[in-house]
Amino acid sequence: MSEAGIIEKLREGNEKAFSDLVNTYQKMVVNTCYGILHNIEDAEDVAQDVFIEVFRSASGFRGDSKISTWIYRIAVNRSLNFLRNHKRRRGFQSFDDIVETPKTVTGEADTESGGDPQSDMENSQRSVLIHAAIDALPKNQRIAFTLNKYEDLSYKEISEIMELSLSSVESLIHRAKKNLQKKLYNCYKKKCI
Amino acid sequence: MKCKAIHKKLIFFLENDLPENEMEEIKLHLAGCHECADFAEYMRKTLKVLNQERKPDVNPFFYTRVKARLENQTIKEIATPLWARILQPAVFTLLLLAGVYAGIKIGQPANNIQETYYAEQEIFPYLYEMAAEPIETFLME
Ligand SMILES: [Zn+2]
Repeated sequence: MSEAGIIEKLREGNEKAFSDLVNTYQKMVVNTCYGILHNIEDAEDVAQDVFIEVFRSASGFRGDSKISTWIYRIAVNRSLNFLRNHKRRRGFQSFDDIVETPKTVTGEADTESGGDPQSDMENSQRSVLIHAAIDALPKNQRIAFTLNKYEDLSYKEISEIMELSLSSVESLIHRAKKNLQKKLYNCYKKKCI
Repeated sequence: MKCKAIHKKLIFFLENDLPENEMEEIKLHLAGCHECADFAEYMRKTLKVLNQERKPDVNPFFYTRVKARLENQTIKEIATPLWARILQPAVFTLLLLAGVYAGIKIGQPANNIQETYYAEQEIFPYLYEMAAEPIETFLME
């Protein structure tokens, strides 16, 4: 079915079209939210709301972008809103907290690294560190970097989602990487892991 | 290239995102510089975490949950018709304002108690003379 056809069915409240849409884009949406929220329960929670918004606002979708672009935008905005409303959630550590209090990075052990407790601990510390470093980036750098890293999106696709020029996205991602490198170097020097 | 210049390019080196000659130059430097090689390894391991955690598994109950949430919200909306959803906040605001106004009005008579008191004294001057009289005088009599 064409994208216009899917939207038309959604406007009519067609449940089959909605369930197909959820099945098609579920992984993409959860993954995008997860890239911003770093927590699977939160990501699924926000992703549910993303699809509800998609269903309800289908009549307002003008069709001037791909469905996926439109859904990505909703997913990014909803995730950022969620963060704004749950800023000091449990376990939240800012990058500065981590760098200034060495060796206090905490996190749940990663069960997928072969059961080596030392390596699990290191990986979970690294995970907390890199998430905090990404979270500390300026908003647009963070969105562009996350879409590129987590969703493997091309700069062109990111420029469409963020409604920016291609060169702006290139520059955002370049600056994001330089900033991350600087942050990781600070942490390395202070031996925060 | 000096160590500082290397540090600024390491992330791009690790992603194979540099011109061929720079890639070679950094590779050579890392082979001979312990500190840069150590930081490169530290960054490689940290960035690798991002690749490992990507693509969480699809939750088999996801659609069921979306549908349930959508239906819940729809039921709530039907239960509270549009006029009620608009009118309710308006009524609450009016009630709040009325409450504040009533509070002010109820508070005001408290200032008049003194006046009432004095009025009573005017009516029963003898009763209040007692209060003004020292106890010693009273006993002496
Ligand atoms: Zn060096």
